[in-house]
Amino acid sequence: MTEVSSQEWLAAVEAVEREGFDYFDWLGCVDEIGRRDCFRIVLVVRNLTASAEPRMLSCSLPRDDPRIQTVRGVFAGAAWHEREVAELFGVEFIGGDGSRLLLSPEFEGRPLRKDEVLAARTALNWPGAKEPGEDGNLAEAGETSASPSRRRMVPPGVPDPAVWGDRDARQPAAEPAEVAESAVGGRVRRRRT
Amino acid sequence: MSSPESSHRWIRLIEPACTSCMICARECPSWCISIDSHTEPVAGLPPGARDRTQNVLDRFAIDWSLCMYCGICVEECPYDALEWVGDLTRPGSSTEALVEEMVE
Repeated sequence: MTEVSSQEWLAAVEAVEREGFDYFDWLGCVDEIGRRDCFRIVLVVRNLTASAEPRMLSCSLPRDDPRIQTVRGVFAGAAWHEREVAELFGVEFIGGDGSRLLLSPEFEGRPLRKDEVLAARTALNWPGAKEPGEDGNLAEAGETSASPSRRRMVPPGVPDPAVWGDRDARQPAAEPAEVAESAVGGRVRRRRT
Repeated sequence: MSSPESSHRWIRLIEPACTSCMICARECPSWCISIDSHTEPVAGLPPGARDRTQNVLDRFAIDWSLCMYCGICVEECPYDALEWVGDLTRPGSSTEALVEEMVE
């Protein structure tokens, strides 16, 4: 994988296309929150005539202002992938097609960002919170009879209320990385309130 | 009308195979499976054996108004207690009526 800066992105894509890697495979995005404060854009191109390994170009964009040049002038098919990344991650493609591809025009939010909270679910009871052998009444009373010492199971996408939603009003709002980390789900240690 | 065995129309619980392990309810992306269970001591142990308990399933319900028929529960069940059936889910006139209780 070749790391490219966002200023050189378009030139780097044009260069691999001239080298014979003229078949666009895919373009994607990774939210690297928790490791680094950035989004990584990955583009894969192939050379169908030579039996060469596909080429991968990658570019890191800052999370607070993710902007990059569009490559749809080089590969027209990349426009769809860029529109998808734009609406799901909130990345701006300069000179790209700004229209919506998958989400409805009214929808607000960037659903594939890892700090995006499934807000409607924070108010619901997750059916998986119960332990095997635990009946509904005990769970409602907040008791865990089967294994009181075990860490509680939490659903993915729903953050710890102490971090998001029910946060202490005297504290500043949680950092995106803190929200993302508290919403991974599984058997996690939750803060005592 | 006959339907192939592989058709994705209705998910059936094979109750004797279910151990109330909660894996399906936790893997379900639409949160549509509700399970109640309790523990009971195992009867008929040989004399001198240590007491054992087992989970007993009280309630297993799938809310067909939420289910998106993805089949993750069928795939994830380690005891093969859920299976696809060719029948259609029962119609209902309200969202509450679409909650199907699978344990009698």
